[in-house]
Amino acid sequence: MSYLLLLPELLLISLALVIVLLGLMISDRSKNLLGYLSAGGLLASIVFILAIKGEGSFFYDAFVVDPLSQIFKLIFAVVSLLAVIASVTYFKGSRNQDEYYALLLLATVGMMVVASANDLVALFVGFELASMATYVLAGFEKRNPASLEAALKYFVIGSLSSALMLFGMSLVYGITGYTSIPGIIEFFTTNPQAATGAINIVAMLFLVAGFAFKMALVPFHMWAPDTYEGSPTVVSALLAAGSKKMGFVAAFKVLVLALVAMRADIQLAFAVLAVVTMTYGNIVAISQRSIKRMLAYSSIAQAGYISLAFVAITPEMSQMAIGGGILLALGHALMKGGAFIAVAVVGYMVLSDNRNVKNTDDLEHFAGLGKRAPITAFAMLVFLLALAGIPPSAGFIGKFVIFYSITVDAVIQASGWMLFIVIVAILNSALSIYYYARVIRYMYVLPPAGERIKEPTPYVVAIVLALIGTIGIGVYPEPFIQMAMDAAKVLGV
Amino acid sequence: MADLYSYLLVAIIIFTIGSYGIITQRSGIKILMCIELLLNAANINLVAFSSFNGSATGQVFALFSIAIAAAEAAIGFAILIALFRIRDTINLDNINILRW
Repeated sequence: MSYLLLLPELLLISLALVIVLLGLMISDRSKNLLGYLSAGGLLASIVFILAIKGEGSFFYDAFVVDPLSQIFKLIFAVVSLLAVIASVTYFKGSRNQDEYYALLLLATVGMMVVASANDLVALFVGFELASMATYVLAGFEKRNPASLEAALKYFVIGSLSSALMLFGMSLVYGITGYTSIPGIIEFFTTNPQAATGAINIVAMLFLVAGFAFKMALVPFHMWAPDTYEGSPTVVSALLAAGSKKMGFVAAFKVLVLALVAMRADIQLAFAVLAVVTMTYGNIVAISQRSIKRMLAYSSIAQAGYISLAFVAITPEMSQMAIGGGILLALGHALMKGGAFIAVAVVGYMVLSDNRNVKNTDDLEHFAGLGKRAPITAFAMLVFLLALAGIPPSAGFIGKFVIFYSITVDAVIQASGWMLFIVIVAILNSALSIYYYARVIRYMYVLPPAGERIKEPTPYVVAIVLALIGTIGIGVYPEPFIQMAMDAAKVLGV
Repeated sequence: MADLYSYLLVAIIIFTIGSYGIITQRSGIKILMCIELLLNAANINLVAFSSFNGSATGQVFALFSIAIAAAEAAIGFAILIALFRIRDTINLDNINILRW
């Protein structure tokens, strides 16, 4: 048990505090440096996550480091890194940059704590740290009514969901007498008769509702499109690509006890949630003119695919499906983060044409993007195709593993409804190509509305990093599949 | 001394009032108050279970959650004040720029 394993979190916490202090001392003009400083810190933290091998548990088993926590920490750190690099341009010249970067780093730490939490108390505290930092980030443009409205909606729904989650946790504590996750599992395995009580279903309902708000599953999704549309675009990238995955890792961790306690019910419930979520997300995305809103609905649809990971029943296939879910979560983080940053570039382009445009993310601004900003347009093309699940891309690998494991499971179980779910999911993927292709048509077929622009270097760096990740996972998936399967093994379903 | 069920009943009543308020109220401040009610209902549960289980974990959890609720309220009021400055209202019915 070596405290080196805590280095990624400790580094980010101390960096956040140092940035707040530095912000008091340096002049407003040199605050851009803080962005590079946070990018450096996140990069170091990614290196630590990858380089320091080993497992351990800390603070009376409240905090564990294992393959599951490491892969999710990698996702969170990479997404924050992309968001920070893009923010260097997005918030250039703002005099509140110190608070911005400190909050962004603290949000990342909160997500990492959730990934490592082995106790409901630690899970709740980490969840709240990440949520509160992101409430403020969503409303960071405090002169922009849309940004504040996004923050208010996110805050009200987010704190409602934490209250539901806390109530669920209090019931779980009441039933079992433990707050630690292994303790709860042990209670249910030693007292099988306790697992059948009606109160368990109530507790589970509260927990699922609390997590589903974060994951933005239908019918708990109302806040997501508004928040993603109104927030600063780089923050939308963090919310869609990072903080959504926090809901998934918490659900993976806590719902293991549900899977132990009452196998069949939760799977059926998640199957219904997943199918409704992906269908609703894809159908509503079709009618959107605002690209940020379209990406928000597409990210709701992706959450539907990822939550198929809870559906498989046989142990091997269930493990594989969860591995696939983690893989898709990793891919989605890169694709969606990259796509939102590409939208930020378009916003930059539109504003440099005309300062007074209100809807910088409207579809019409994408006309002729292939000529105006070739790197962004090409990257956006790849991200959209990857979101639709076209090989070779990260989106394809994740979807393939999930659909494959559910299909095999359906054959083993001889269960018609599971096969039906896979068919619905594949039809949904086909449907989603329609609205992604529309953006591609605008970018490459329609004539451009202005001259070619010079894309700012930080944006290009962030986009190219996401692009390399998206294609890299698609072309050479073995190490990532291995990582995801190791992570799924920890859950030991 | 009252039994466990009376405490849980109080918690559930408070929780119901809170959820009812969130659905029906339109003022930002009242919604914040209702969220506090929901969190405190969970705290009553935790402390009641803790006392009847004879373990202190629940009380520690309740302390954490009280601290978090305070931070959450601070952020909520900050967002409401920022909104009031530019919109002159915190009535949620009027806050509707973003819609599909």
